[in-house]
Amino acid sequence: MSAFGLHGTRSDLWLRLRRNRNACIGSVLVVLVVAVAVGAPWLAPFSHENVDMLAVWAPPGDPHWLGADGLGRDILSRLVVGAQVSLLVAVSVLAITLSVGITLGMVAAWYGGWTETVVMRTADVIFAFPELIFAILIAAMLGPGTLTVIVSLSIVWWPGIARLTRSLVLSLRHELYVEAAIACGTPTARILVRHLLPNIIAPIIVRASVGVGFIVMAEATLSFLGIGVQEPQPTWGGMIRDGLEVLRTDPWLALSASAALAVTIVGFNLLGDGLRDILDPRVRER
Amino acid sequence: MAVEPLLVVENLVKDFEVGAPWGGGRRTLRAVDGVSLTVDAGETVGIVGESGCGKTTLARLLLRLAEPTAGSVRFDGRDITHATTAELRALRRQLQVVFQDPYSSLNPRMKVRDIVAEPLENAGVAPAAATARVAEVLATVGLPAEVMDRHPHAFSGGQRQRIGLARALAPRPRLVVCDEAVSALDVSIQAQVLNLLRDVQDALGLAIVFISHNLAVVRHVSHRIVVMYLGQVMELAPEPALFSRPRHPYTRALIESVPEPDPRARGRRRVLAGDIPSPIAPPPGCVFHPRCPRAEARCRAERPQPRVVGEATVRCHFPL
Repeated sequence: MSAFGLHGTRSDLWLRLRRNRNACIGSVLVVLVVAVAVGAPWLAPFSHENVDMLAVWAPPGDPHWLGADGLGRDILSRLVVGAQVSLLVAVSVLAITLSVGITLGMVAAWYGGWTETVVMRTADVIFAFPELIFAILIAAMLGPGTLTVIVSLSIVWWPGIARLTRSLVLSLRHELYVEAAIACGTPTARILVRHLLPNIIAPIIVRASVGVGFIVMAEATLSFLGIGVQEPQPTWGGMIRDGLEVLRTDPWLALSASAALAVTIVGFNLLGDGLRDILDPRVRER
Repeated sequence: MAVEPLLVVENLVKDFEVGAPWGGGRRTLRAVDGVSLTVDAGETVGIVGESGCGKTTLARLLLRLAEPTAGSVRFDGRDITHATTAELRALRRQLQVVFQDPYSSLNPRMKVRDIVAEPLENAGVAPAAATARVAEVLATVGLPAEVMDRHPHAFSGGQRQRIGLARALAPRPRLVVCDEAVSALDVSIQAQVLNLLRDVQDALGLAIVFISHNLAVVRHVSHRIVVMYLGQVMELAPEPALFSRPRHPYTRALIESVPEPDPRARGRRRVLAGDIPSPIAPPPGCVFHPRCPRAEARCRAERPQPRVVGEATVRCHFPL
């Protein structure tokens, strides 16, 4: 059994991606959000810090297409820069949790014994708390800031990756090609990277893609609660909080930030679901 | 003094703990029980036995993929029974393996070139030299050099087994362990691979340990044959003697159970009754006695020790 590999050629994968509706819609939304974040300096019509007292709570129109907030700052510009912040957090958390989670999961599965016990019991302890609540707890202890968001979300999210990696490695470690590699003298690190990693990476990619949805949402929650990314840095969570107080009279701020958040989360979740259908042959056959 | 054989195995034992890790359910399964054998350079030793008789465990012990509970394995005069991973790594080049399943023994994500070159790279061969050697060894097993850029799924079972064989031969090993190396193949392909093995052996002076449940296949390739039952060696004899004059009742039963294609040559077949006993609770005395047509009281009480009868070494109180 080849288990969890990315089979076939690149073009084959591309074809299957195009045939899958979820993956298509998801990737369009994701590309859109990423493009907005990357192109923020050119896309934002105003500086996101530009205070204009004449435009306080301005409704959508010219020149503020989505209106302005309580300090007269352009909402569209702040949304666009907010995408940057959200994705920066998501990418950082992914980078940390994937490297930590994959490494620890592989080592635990390969060596077993007390190494496995220490790693997996630690993961279990973190797993025992609801992710978001534990993240809020850690963030509250560390004090607000972008780094706090990244650290707290990384702490709650690596155990999932470690568990997934461990179970995938356990299912493959007695494959004959792994035995063959041991028998011909391949060093352990090389076996893990060269033989196991490529064969387990597909489900991890799926997990990471769905995970971005969670991370973006969690970042918004922390920022909403005021223990996340801080002013003057615009964040979608913070914008929703500011807009909530005036939702009846000037709903534009809260609504536009919520919409941006929704599009991003739905996009990554659809992409993740689509990728799972494409990459996991057992699901595809159903 | 005679030169020591390439591989010397003495009284090898491997136990597995089975059942719950706590409470009273823990018991010991003795998969390999006091196996001794030798393999000379250029010689093929066949190991036959039914499923579950410890053949594959024995193979893993010879390759040091598992550590024996007791006994010793000496390769080229060096004791490798408890060698560390690092010490073994230096030896791996001389000690290669071909596995049963040609589908799972090749990494689906790697190209043929990288699969076959792996033992070479581990031995520190430079990439260019490794590629040249891969082409050479692929030619030996009858595959063109173009296959190097393909992935294993592009090949049939027989071709994959050739790739597995090429990987084993690439570092010019002195001993190759073939664990059911042809069992997954069609009969016609089996013959090709077996003849190939023999050619390679003649050309390189390779020692081979050939493990199979198929007596006909083992007979075709082996110089000496080891018959295993429930983790023990029942009989060890040169190939002609084992078939012309089997000394152990189990060996005879095995030989008689081989299907005879000529109906006129078919004699009265004595088929073994019963199943292999559980290795967790092996029978007292001779492990074969519950199924042995010649068992007597002594067989039920006293475990026979290996002894030399004619050309064979037999573990039986009443050899034929």
